Amino acid sequence: MEVALLGNPNTGKTSLFNELTGSYEYVGNWTGVTVDKKVGTLKKQIGQLIDLPGVYALNPISKDEGIASQYLLENRCTSTLNIVDASGLSRNLHLTIQLLEFGKPLVIGLNMVDVAKSRGIAIDVHQLSEELNVPVLPIIARTGKGCRDILDYFSLENQHVSHFSIDYGEKIEKAIENISDLLHEEQLNHRWLALQLLQGNQIVLDHIKTNKGIDLERIQRIIQELDKQIEEVEKCSLARAIYSKRKQIINDILEKVITKEKNSDRTFTDIIDSIVTNKFLGIPIFLSIMYFIFHMTFNWIGTPVSDWLDGFFSGSLSEWIGQGLQAVHATPFIRALILNGLIAGVGGVIVFVPQMIVLFFFISLIEDSGYMARVALVMDRIMQVAGLNGKSFIPLVIGFGCNIPGIMASRSIEQPKERLITVLITPLMSCSARLAVYSLFAGAFFAEYQALVVLSLYVLGVILALVMAKVFSFFLKHEHSVFIVELPPYRVPNAKTLFRSTWDKSKGFVKKATTFILGGTVVIWLLSYAGPHGLNVNIDQSFLALVCGYIAPLVAPLGFGTWQAGTALVSGFLAKEAVVSTMSIVYHAPHSGTLTGVISQAFTPLQAYTFMVFSLLYIPCLSTVPAIYKEVGTRKLTWFTVMYCVALAYIVSLVIYQVGRLMGF
Amino acid sequence: MILTELKKGEKATILNLSGTTELVQQRLLDLGITEGEEVCYKCALPFGGPCMLEVCGQCIGLRRREAKEIQVVRT
Repeated sequence: MEVALLGNPNTGKTSLFNELTGSYEYVGNWTGVTVDKKVGTLKKQIGQLIDLPGVYALNPISKDEGIASQYLLENRCTSTLNIVDASGLSRNLHLTIQLLEFGKPLVIGLNMVDVAKSRGIAIDVHQLSEELNVPVLPIIARTGKGCRDILDYFSLENQHVSHFSIDYGEKIEKAIENISDLLHEEQLNHRWLALQLLQGNQIVLDHIKTNKGIDLERIQRIIQELDKQIEEVEKCSLARAIYSKRKQIINDILEKVITKEKNSDRTFTDIIDSIVTNKFLGIPIFLSIMYFIFHMTFNWIGTPVSDWLDGFFSGSLSEWIGQGLQAVHATPFIRALILNGLIAGVGGVIVFVPQMIVLFFFISLIEDSGYMARVALVMDRIMQVAGLNGKSFIPLVIGFGCNIPGIMASRSIEQPKERLITVLITPLMSCSARLAVYSLFAGAFFAEYQALVVLSLYVLGVILALVMAKVFSFFLKHEHSVFIVELPPYRVPNAKTLFRSTWDKSKGFVKKATTFILGGTVVIWLLSYAGPHGLNVNIDQSFLALVCGYIAPLVAPLGFGTWQAGTALVSGFLAKEAVVSTMSIVYHAPHSGTLTGVISQAFTPLQAYTFMVFSLLYIPCLSTVPAIYKEVGTRKLTWFTVMYCVALAYIVSLVIYQVGRLMGF
Repeated sequence: MILTELKKGEKATILNLSGTTELVQQRLLDLGITEGEEVCYKCALPFGGPCMLEVCGQCIGLRRREAKEIQVVRT
């Protein structure tokens, strides 16, 4: 059995998915969290559940919405589960009607009954079920209440197909009949296909085109004729006429189902919104929140814990393991590999986990509370200057955590041009892996102003991204920019969700450190241990120093023309945090103390800042490149993204270093 | 009158949406916003930034340029 989970955006589909499958997928409180389909196994092993991006209707506008319609056309699901937001029934039922027309067994999960109640909306669940002729199960997806009933329902052998059908009026019904007759080759429900075609659903049309046995021309003639007739009589488009008919039916149903009590006065959401979207305070509040987050991450919580961990790794832990290795009579090679290679390298990255957890916690908080959509609203005017819209800012904020989900989040942007530009500039967002580089350098050189220095790098990334967006928009075809964003009600973040979401993001980082970085570290260490003259050579005579010595002159004008910096940058392409692990190895000397101490000898503050800027911009990491390719679709554009980052990093770093030097830093 | 002429917090009924672009119209329809619905103009951001509306019990953000194409009548 394969069940498709569909519903309007931000109605809690993924929360329900997690409850029903026992898995954990990314959830948030804004439109466009889920941008790809996800497969999970229903509890009790009764079948598969497919989580799809939220859609308002089956006629898509943005790319993520197309994924849902595409999935239905594959005709793989045996049942559909429609999650409906009880506080917005009239709009949610448009999708429900289209799913009923799809003709597969359907069950409705009526979510957020509690929210509806608090707004004075009471729903007669039994009556609704009767009107639509489908089972309606009230649930609260966030807490998991009522989810058992859904599982029980899907355990039943025979699932019921609704008899619900709308009479669209004589003309439209006639056209549906005529088109259906031409579709006999199709497996999917003919009435549904016909209605989608009449509504102008491009994805369905493309699907029909692939079936050679269908007389497409005749279908299109029928549609055109009907369109003309409707235009004459009802003075509106055909799609609109179908919409109005559905709306009328929905209103009739709601009349019987909903009882509205007196509307409550100002809600909690209204009060917060009057502050955070205030004319004058909106942007300052957003910037203050970001600054506060960095201050928490660096000055108050993250750094003290990281420092303690660093001391533990380079002190006690190294000592204990050293003694242990001595006790088992390990060879010097093994001892050097473990102590100078693995512990120095991987440990150098792991020490930044506390800072990342703090940062991820706050990003999760923004996602779950509902503030994200307000950020899009507040930033729209500024983004407009760069040729983008406020929604493009969401991928950028997510990119602060990791560029890959950021790039994927761009799918919810309606206009292809704005979507493409957003993908191109997201790699300039300072992801958490780059945080490791800043923490190391800022800790060594700018201890007192850490938060401010790091914030300056984030801001620099955003500013350069906007400048590049403006530049790119000159080269792309002009499109009418669109910005409509739904502003969901705020909610108090759920502790469980917050914890899981923070852990989920941090987990990736720890996993990368113990696999990818570990492997890379061993290779780097071996190259630094071996040289043309044998093993255990002086590090300046190693293969690593010899090879990377060629890179050094290239970056010398930027102020860090050493082979050590060159090596770190090369391995940084694998993953940005590898810059740190590589530095731990190449600057590692016995009894030299912590890495911070060695670094502060090897760089000047200006060189350190330039190095951070270069690390911020210079290249999207190895795992980000396929994500970019997937969204832009061509090799050429993927290469372009990588190369422009390199060029931009070089130019900006050069300017900062040379100007800084002239100013006497 | 047009939507943006309303004062902050004022309510009005939507008369005509057809001045907006097709894409915007479809999105507004998706959100259940059509002629005859009541809209509340909540606030606008500075420098010609987007405005915030409340329609059918939900809040949305819309560019002022699009909002200027929506005709309403005070209720």
